[in-house]
Amino acid sequence: MIFLRRRLPLLITMITGLLFAGQYYVPHPSSELLLTSATKWLQIIGGFALVLGITSLFHQHAVKIRRQEAGWGYSFVLYAGVFVTVAAGIFARGKESFEGAMTGFGWVYSFMLVPLQGTMFAILAFFIASAAYRSFRARSREAAVLLVAAVIVMMGRVPLGEYLMPLSGDVSQWILNVLNASVRRAILIGVSLGAIALSLKIIFGVERSYLGGGKE
Amino acid sequence: MTLSERMLKIDRRIIFLVIGLCTLLPLLYPVGLPIKISPEVRSIYDYIESLPERSVFLLSIDFDPASKPELHPQAIALLRHAFRKNLRVVAMTLWVSGTGMADQLLTQVAKEMGKEDGKDYVFLGWSSGGTAVIINMGQDLYKAFPSDYGGKATKGIPVLEGVLSLKDVAYAISLGAGNPGVEAWYVFGKDKYKFELGGGCTGVIAPGLYPLLRSGQINGLIGGLRGAAEYESLVGHKGRAVAGMDAQSATHFAIIVLVAMCNLFYFSLRQQQGRSRELPVKRGH
Repeated sequence: MIFLRRRLPLLITMITGLLFAGQYYVPHPSSELLLTSATKWLQIIGGFALVLGITSLFHQHAVKIRRQEAGWGYSFVLYAGVFVTVAAGIFARGKESFEGAMTGFGWVYSFMLVPLQGTMFAILAFFIASAAYRSFRARSREAAVLLVAAVIVMMGRVPLGEYLMPLSGDVSQWILNVLNASVRRAILIGVSLGAIALSLKIIFGVERSYLGGGKE
Repeated sequence: MTLSERMLKIDRRIIFLVIGLCTLLPLLYPVGLPIKISPEVRSIYDYIESLPERSVFLLSIDFDPASKPELHPQAIALLRHAFRKNLRVVAMTLWVSGTGMADQLLTQVAKEMGKEDGKDYVFLGWSSGGTAVIINMGQDLYKAFPSDYGGKATKGIPVLEGVLSLKDVAYAISLGAGNPGVEAWYVFGKDKYKFELGGGCTGVIAPGLYPLLRSGQINGLIGGLRGAAEYESLVGHKGRAVAGMDAQSATHFAIIVLVAMCNLFYFSLRQQQGRSRELPVKRGH
């Protein structure tokens, strides 16, 4: 059992990890064919991830309804939303319009999903303004620098700012292109080195937490 | 309670009202201030301008309706430019919830420009796998998308004539609102299959993409509504983005004023608290 539960997954991880790390540098047709089949596999597994996600979501909300936790009524809304959309999708064969006419599925998409998502994102502007008013204070020297940079970039990114302070556009470009880009690059390099180290640890079986099940 | 304390604890509904008015009024009464074109937006425009007719232009619409206000105008302006240049447009999405919206916008612009589905453009739709779809397209486009969004087999579609994989794409642009988006297209696409790549994104994620821009990993970047407005100005067809710039100007200024006010009251309160702390000490002496 230990072989199937531990050693075999570790072996598969090591072989595929090394194989595909090396594959990137081999432009031979058979190497490319290997990548094609592997990515096709990835696409199929990606499809299964959808099923897994929906199952997990249903389970979580079923538990909420059974225990009658706070806001359990919304879990019913979720179930209703999913079933109505799936039914509309099956009925319309996944098409949002048929011969120029909008299907039920298209109606759900255009008049429910689009405005709901748009609204959720749009209210962010109000909360950001409120949060900025409450917390964007020059409490320290660093916070003051951040505050000044934010004001310059906010001015430089809109025509009114450039009209009132013609230099703000160029200064904001400089902040984004030089200061921001260099700091982001440093963070990216650090993250990438970390990712390489973690990948090597996984490939060589040092990091095993992805296998689950706690310690051997 | 002092004035500063009261102002710092202002009802947030007042702030919501200010932002609401700053958004609404400029939309009703536009001012139309001139928009300066940034080099990162111009380089995308110039690259598309330099492409020969019937070159393959791939537009990956990697966003959902939540980012529609910023990225939809970018997609429309880019499509108008590509169709005007008579490029072969191949559109797709890596975001399942953006599929319907992407289809609508492509159909709308193509109809407006008198372009024909299958001959001048194709919408491949969405395929599962996230970033793996990019690699798969780099290997074999027809395996990644055996059929287009309408269910027609992709092999044999005239617009895809001579296109086998991403290597045959002259220029690709990802309009991304997150992951998978511009970065994924560079890491899994351009780096391996060597095609020119540009990016478009929401204002929030634009600063994160500047390292890719500065190193030439992407040749241009259209950032947020401002970027869309710049592109609309370049294409010469002013639309929703240009109209929205006045509202964005007003809201940015409202936030700047609010932040300045909050700091003013904060320092005034600190000064008052400092003075009240000093008083008992002096009395003690």
